[in-house]
Amino acid sequence: MTLPGVLLVCALHRKMAVSVLSWRTAVFCRSLKGISSSKAVIPVHSLLQTASYNPKPLRLNLRDPYIPDKNSEKTPEWQRTARYDGKLFGRYGSASGIEPASLWPSHEQLDRVVAEENEWHPPIEVMLKNIKAKQREETEKCLAKEKLIAANMAKMPKMIADWRREKRESKLKLKEERSRREMLLAEAKARFGFAVDPRSPKFLQMVAEIEKEEKKKRKIMKRRVREEQRGATAPVTPPAASS
Amino acid sequence: MSFPKKPGGKALDVLKTLPRISLANLRPEPGATKLERKRGRGLHGGNRSGRGHKGERQRGTRPRLGFEGGHTPFYLAIPKYGFNEGHSRRPQYQPLSLKRLQYLIDLGRVDATQPIDLTQLVNARGVTIQPLKKDYGVQLVDEGCDMFAAKINIEVQRASERVIAAIERNGGTITTSFYDPLSLGILIKPVPFFLRGQPIPKRMLPGEDMLLYYTDAENRGYLADLEKTKQARLALALKYGYTLPDISKDELYHMLRMRKDVRQLFFGLAPGWVVNMAEKKILKPTDEKLLKYYNS
Repeated sequence: MTLPGVLLVCALHRKMAVSVLSWRTAVFCRSLKGISSSKAVIPVHSLLQTASYNPKPLRLNLRDPYIPDKNSEKTPEWQRTARYDGKLFGRYGSASGIEPASLWPSHEQLDRVVAEENEWHPPIEVMLKNIKAKQREETEKCLAKEKLIAANMAKMPKMIADWRREKRESKLKLKEERSRREMLLAEAKARFGFAVDPRSPKFLQMVAEIEKEEKKKRKIMKRRVREEQRGATAPVTPPAASS
Repeated sequence: MSFPKKPGGKALDVLKTLPRISLANLRPEPGATKLERKRGRGLHGGNRSGRGHKGERQRGTRPRLGFEGGHTPFYLAIPKYGFNEGHSRRPQYQPLSLKRLQYLIDLGRVDATQPIDLTQLVNARGVTIQPLKKDYGVQLVDEGCDMFAAKINIEVQRASERVIAAIERNGGTITTSFYDPLSLGILIKPVPFFLRGQPIPKRMLPGEDMLLYYTDAENRGYLADLEKTKQARLALALKYGYTLPDISKDELYHMLRMRKDVRQLFFGLAPGWVVNMAEKKILKPTDEKLLKYYNS
């Protein structure tokens, strides 16, 4: 028992020396990199190595095995199971008197195991197919969403331009209304000689009058423009008709 | 009358006779610990017994932790985020750095002339695996990958690209492989399993969530095509700028190319065999049906 231990220690010492040596050679080679070829490096780990694993002693009481009598009433229930039989065989081997064939599942048990495996553990090909299908579904979903986003983004500049124009127009309209109101108020003040409440019938009447006048003016303007246009186009059209 | 004084004197003698320090005789410094006072015992009963005057303090009915006296407490006020969803069900991989692996090899705790798998690493006390705490094996971490110099054939569960490069640069091989929790428990503690007298089960395939990792040649997965793995080795060498050593001319070629079968748990032992430690025997099934099951 002592001899292997001694051998082991020797091996360990040698191993440590080797690692130190190899480190030195490695440094040496690094310094000589320019001169020597890479083949000069000694293969470090092909040298002797000993794994020093001291396993836990296996304490098996082979001389006086405890094998329960299955027929005795004193034997507890859990010592009569097939699982415990397996344990006995594992501990004492054939001395336990257990039939080795009983260590493997019977045909019925095996059928059950196989059925369960078929249900819960599909073969690789099936799993790969499932994964591929799932991935395809995901990419399709992603692509559809990207397409939708792209389509909506294409509409974006027009929508922004529309929104800006609307805003500008509404602003302008507001400004015009305000200026018109101010003008009307000033007009009323000039006409009556004092500030008029914009809700008073006097003021409203005045507004209606002014609007009427403006309407008339607009009508006249329109007619004049039409006549002017007719006058402008008249000299141009006759030659076209004569030719 | 004076004797020449011995160096060390009494203290050295005491030290020599004392037993070695171990967990059994370690205890706190005298005076470091203080016994908890028990209130109101013996003649000190009566009145308030040192518990103050009235209220939750005297009656020991303090509200629960985090209770803010009727406010919605902070721990309920902030919304929950999904970052840690399912954290208790996520597989864990114990880290093993290349630095520590080199240390284990240098000390001879791991034998580099044999293929290294999880059993070797656990026996060398390199990692501790607890399958019941959702451990699915060991991951190699790239700390110390520049100083790693061993030529090994290692099988781990996860490895980063740098780790793969560091191992293959030295002429070694690496495989990532999956063990289901049951197989993992057997793999890290083979002897207690053999003492149970059960046949070695066959290793289950990874689920759909892990299958892609282990069929990928870039991860050196055990389900990947060998040809593709070979090409991936060359590609990685190109990427990291080292010349891939030719393994086939190596004296350890046989060891370096050793790989487990997809269904195999231990090197040299097939699923379905029973290992008996007491008699140093291996029992193999002969029944057709059993063979068919274990070889599928």
